[in-house]
Amino acid sequence: MALISAMYPVAEQIGASRIVKAVAIPHPCGDPSLPADMDRALRREIVTTALRALETEVESTTLFAPKMAVSS
Amino acid sequence: MAAVVHILNQFFAGIGGEDKANLPVGVLGGAAGAARGLAAELRERATVVATIYFGDNYFHEHKDDAKEAIVREVAKTHPDVVVVGPAFNAGRYGLAAAEICQTIAERLGLPCVTGMEPENPGAGFYREYRNEKVFLLPTGESAAAMGRALATMAAFACRLAAGSVIGPADREGYLPRGIRRLERGERSGVERAIDMLLVKAAGRPFVTELAMEVWDKVAPAAPLKTTAEAKLALISTSGVVPWGNPDRFKTYRNTHWRKYSFAELKSLEAGKWEAVHGGYNVAEMNQNPHYGVPLDALRALEAEGKIGRGKLYPAYYMIPGNQGSPSVMRRVGQEIAADLRKEGVDGVLLVAT
Repeated sequence: MALISAMYPVAEQIGASRIVKAVAIPHPCGDPSLPADMDRALRREIVTTALRALETEVESTTLFAPKMAVSS
Repeated sequence: MAAVVHILNQFFAGIGGEDKANLPVGVLGGAAGAARGLAAELRERATVVATIYFGDNYFHEHKDDAKEAIVREVAKTHPDVVVVGPAFNAGRYGLAAAEICQTIAERLGLPCVTGMEPENPGAGFYREYRNEKVFLLPTGESAAAMGRALATMAAFACRLAAGSVIGPADREGYLPRGIRRLERGERSGVERAIDMLLVKAAGRPFVTELAMEVWDKVAPAAPLKTTAEAKLALISTSGVVPWGNPDRFKTYRNTHWRKYSFAELKSLEAGKWEAVHGGYNVAEMNQNPHYGVPLDALRALEAEGKIGRGKLYPAYYMIPGNQGSPSVMRRVGQEIAADLRKEGVDGVLLVAT
């Protein structure tokens, strides 16, 4: 399982295995301040990162960052 | 004089061992087996009006019938308090004791006291039930600790029968159930917190007023070889549900989960879905539900082959995640995991707000 969360420090603290850094609590998968096409691309990058996390061997809590800038 | 019913397994009721483990629920008048020991500890304070027994296997194989019969027999004797066990480290017995206490407290409103070794799986159920009327006293591992266990349980039972106010677990000695009560303190929370901070800063020992939850350690699952060939599912705690909230999720402390189909959809249209969640401002989520359920991205990746065609599970799992209590969330997680396994899902994306 890959956990997509903007509250990734909490996810790390409780020991989730594969964590994907999301944008913000009210909109984890995307950023409403971006133009619609950029927003969609960012969401796709976050989901792609989650797929990459599922394919990656991890031994303990691991944070995966989307390659696109995630800001809020 | 207070009336006590003592409930025991067939062994401790003195009926027999493993060969009698299939015996249904039965009643012996007065105190029998280990109940004689309890009666001796109760002395003139209370009397054991009946000993109810059940076969260790029978209880688990006919749980509903067994619980019905026990409730019926307990009700007949009008006790002030019910004592179950002690079960020590016996798993079947401990689980049965926790369930029996819960059922009697719930159905008959009677206070119950049981005893077992704190590592007994029954203690986990007791903590999950969190019943105000049920108290579990820690015992040793085996029947060698019987005398001491019965003495403690008898004393506790007498207080329950008398309607005494029972204080917090650390003062009274029962296992904590995670119930928090308001009580008036001599000094304000601010003063107590500053005192605690000063003690901590000085490196001296202190006792917290609110112990933090201890989390389970879960070993990471093995990776998928490739997501293109795996069956994937989406879980979300964002609160995004079909417009109208058909399953009546609350904005906080939900206790159930649901699946919503997006099988025929390429994207989620604003206005057909709504976010039910009291922990964040849902305005943007309502405008674009993909922030919590990224179906458009999943479909795009499916079109490109990064997710296998037809490999995305056709519904997403939902429970709005606000203020969920850990014990409820643990149960919900187990239920969803069991469903994922049943559906043959290999990998999961969980979007948490």
